[in-house]
Parts: sequence; structure tokens; C-alpha cells
Amino acid sequence: MTGAGRDQDRMAEAADWVIRLQAGDLDGADGLAFDAWLQADDRNATAYDAALAIDQEFETNAAAVREGLRTRRPGRVLAFRRPYYAAGAAAAAAFAAALIVPAMMVSTTTAAYATGTGEHRTVSLADGSKIDLDASSRLSVTLGRHERQVTMAEGQAVFDVTHDSRRPFLIAAGDRTVRVVGTQFDVRHRAGHLSVTVTRGTVEVLPADGASGQTFRLHPGQRLEHQEGAISAQVAAAAPDQALGWRSGRLVYRDQPLSIVVADLNAEFAKPIRIADPALAATPVSGVFIVDSEDAVVRRLALLVSAHTVPSDGGVTLKRNETPNR
Amino acid sequence: MGQTKPVSPPSSGPGSPAGDDPLVEAYLARRANLIRFFAARTGSHAAAEDLAQELYLKVAGRPPGEVAENPAALLYRIATNLMVDRTRGEARASARDAHWRGAVHTTIAGEDIAQEPPADEAAASRQRLRQLVEAVAELPPQMQRAFTLHKLEGRSHADTALAMGISVKSVEKHISAALKNLTARLGR
Repeated sequence: MTGAGRDQDRMAEAADWVIRLQAGDLDGADGLAFDAWLQADDRNATAYDAALAIDQEFETNAAAVREGLRTRRPGRVLAFRRPYYAAGAAAAAAFAAALIVPAMMVSTTTAAYATGTGEHRTVSLADGSKIDLDASSRLSVTLGRHERQVTMAEGQAVFDVTHDSRRPFLIAAGDRTVRVVGTQFDVRHRAGHLSVTVTRGTVEVLPADGASGQTFRLHPGQRLEHQEGAISAQVAAAAPDQALGWRSGRLVYRDQPLSIVVADLNAEFAKPIRIADPALAATPVSGVFIVDSEDAVVRRLALLVSAHTVPSDGGVTLKRNETPNR
Repeated sequence: MGQTKPVSPPSSGPGSPAGDDPLVEAYLARRANLIRFFAARTGSHAAAEDLAQELYLKVAGRPPGEVAENPAALLYRIATNLMVDRTRGEARASARDAHWRGAVHTTIAGEDIAQEPPADEAAASRQRLRQLVEAVAELPPQMQRAFTLHKLEGRSHADTALAMGISVKSVEKHISAALKNLTARLGR
């Protein structure tokens, strides 16, 4: 009993220290006293570490816990009403629904944005965030009270997100969700291929509801690539230029398949570019393209991958150059 | 031209000249405790490690000869100034900011980087999140209010006191009691 009482005291002291060290009027004497307390008994450090771990866990998950507390209340009201309804299962279902549909109910209007071929557009949102939309992109934005939700059907955009830890910024792109608190990053979601490049802050990419896979936390200078439907994703280092160049009329690639380059160019130009065969489509491309005239860009691209162009069906088709011995 | 002097890396071995400095001795003996001291405020272990490293550079770089009467007291004075300086003006509970600071120091080693976030950054699983929410929901009302305002909404102790109409000391007591309760319930 005495032992348990002492452990309780120790836990209380540990919690006191965590909170005391976070106080605004901390001074050097507090540090010295803290050090003395730690040295007085080895178990004090263990208790402190445990309290600190819980403290940090709540800080890391502050927004989610707040949200959980908020949505917990309607659940309680339903639970009180439950005796009036005979079917327990139905009541349970209503209860679950109340928990699962949180901020969406109170969400404000949804705005849709789209750009045509070759069109770029900057969208300023009411929360101060900015979205630079690349050509041929479609997305919708809902600024809710508890979260900011973007659905990116197709396209590419650079997001400059205002920091608001109470309202996470979520981007749904196929079977992945990109979650962010405040930062700058590029999301490219075209033809079932997702790539996310972070230039500032931290971004999480997680499987959408119902999809499986790992959650990744991306830091500045990292890029995630994911093929829709696949369980895996790859993270590699990336130069921000690579992702953000399109805003200044430059497309930057490092070891990207020709098919991705052509998809990007097709977003910019009216005349469709096609690729003659899958092997050519998979050819890796590295380089910077100035997006000026379509003919000039296609000519430079053809040189890079040892191909030539033939007119086809209102556009051009890239064909591999014949090898001399054939 | 032989003008460049070799710069020796900071050495912490007991045989190095720095080892004779009582302040450096005090630092080396207390490094683990100093990281604990910093971590309460930085929100992440990585950021606390960075501060401890910075403190070392400050301590080791002091001109020799100044003999402190109580090296440990001086050490914690410098540590406190460094920490308060570094965390000033940043809302508490913006733990994510702390992670950002930590993240900047992450070296990017080409392919295949840190798929697993470090333990102290990990977002909680759904099940764990439910436990966290339940534990807070079941705190006594005053504790819950103080804990929510400060920890979850990021208000300072002073702001929380104002919002609740009680003293700052009482706020600290409530939050501390809440943390004790939560640690006893959720600690692993």
C-alpha cells in the first residue's frame, strides 16, 4: 500500500514537472530543482518520461482529439434516446453514423475549379490559402469548420496552405488522401498516377477510406509516387524545381517516363501528342523543358528520346527512330 | 599559403582539454536530464536533442578561466535562457511546428527514406485515438476544461486562467492533475 502510494506521488510529481517546465515564468532555479529531483531516485526519470510521452501524444493528436470530443456529444444524446427504440441494431447504426459523419454536416458551400488546355489559374481561398492550378485540372474545395477538404479529380496544383492546426487541410486524390497543416507542396494526379512533392512543412499521404497501404510523412525535398490501386508507394528525394517549374513555364524531370512528360504537355497544348509504342512510353526522361511553342517543345523532346514525329489525327505521334541495321 | 588553421571538431572525451572545464563536466554528467528538461517544451525529442547540442556548443565555447561557483546552476541558467529564447512567441500545443523544426534537420538520404515516422511523431491509430478521447472526456470538469483549453486548443497558461476565471497557479494544478490522471490511465 505504501509502495503504491509512493508511486502515485511520484507520478503526480512527474506530471507537475512536465507542466511546470512548460510554464511561462520558468527560470534557471526550476531547472536545477528538476535536475535534483531526477537525481534523487532513478524511478523519477521513468515516471517523468511516461508523463512526457502522454503529454506529447496529446499535443501531436490535439486536433483529432478535439474533433473526437466534439463528435462524442451527439453520440451521447442518441444513447439516451435508445430505450425508446426497440431495435438496438438500428440505434447502434445511427450512433455510428453520428460518429462517422463529423464536420461534413456543417460544411459550407463547395466551390469547383477547372482549367482548360493551356490555361493556368490561381485560386485564393477564404482561409488565405492559395492554389495554383495547372492546365487541364479539375478540383473542388470545401472549407468546413473543422477541416478544409479538396477533392482533386484530375490535374496538378501547387498548394500554399495557411497554417491552421485546428482545421487540417485534406486533399483526396483517388485512393490516397494528402493531409497537411500548413505548408507548400505540389500534388499531381493524372491518369491514375499520384505524385506529391513537398517544398515546405510536412505533409502526410494516407490511404483513403477503404484503400490499403502505409501512411507516409513527407518532409521538404521529398517526393512520393503512387500508382492508383497499388498498395505501395515510393519516397525519394526531389528538387522542388521539378514539381513547381510548371508555374513559370518550365517542366523539370528527372528519370520520369516519357508517358508522364507527354501527359503534362498534353495538358498545356491543344494538339494531342501520342506515343507510338509502350517501350518508347517507358523511356526515362531527364531535363528541363521551356514551354513555349508546342512544335518547338515536341522537337526537343523527340531529340532527347531518339524519336521523330509524324502527324496523326489532328495531333502528332512520337515514333522511335529506326535503327540503321533494320 | 598555410593561412588556414585546421578547425578541430568539438571533442567531448575525458582526456580533451574541455574535460577540465567544470561547466563542460557538468554538461556531460547531465546531458540526459537536460534533454528531458528541453523536451517538455520543444514537443519532440529530436528538437530537444538539437537544443542540447546547441547548449554544448555554447558551453564548450565559453572562454576558459571563468570559474563558476556552482557549475550546475550556471548550466541550467544558460539552458533555460536558450530554451525560452527558442520557444518564445510560439503557441504551445503547436506541436506540429516543433515537428517541422525537427523535420528540417532530417537528412535526406536518397531512396527509401523513413517510411515509419519516429515514435514521438507518430499519429495515433484510430483505436488509440478513441482511448485518448475517452480518457479526456472522463476527467473531472475543471481538469478537463483546463486541459482542453491549454493542451488541445493551444492557449497559454495565462490565457487559460483568464478564460476560466482562475489563477495561473490553479490552471497549472488542474493541467498537472489531468496529466497525472491520463498518464496513469493511458501510459504504456
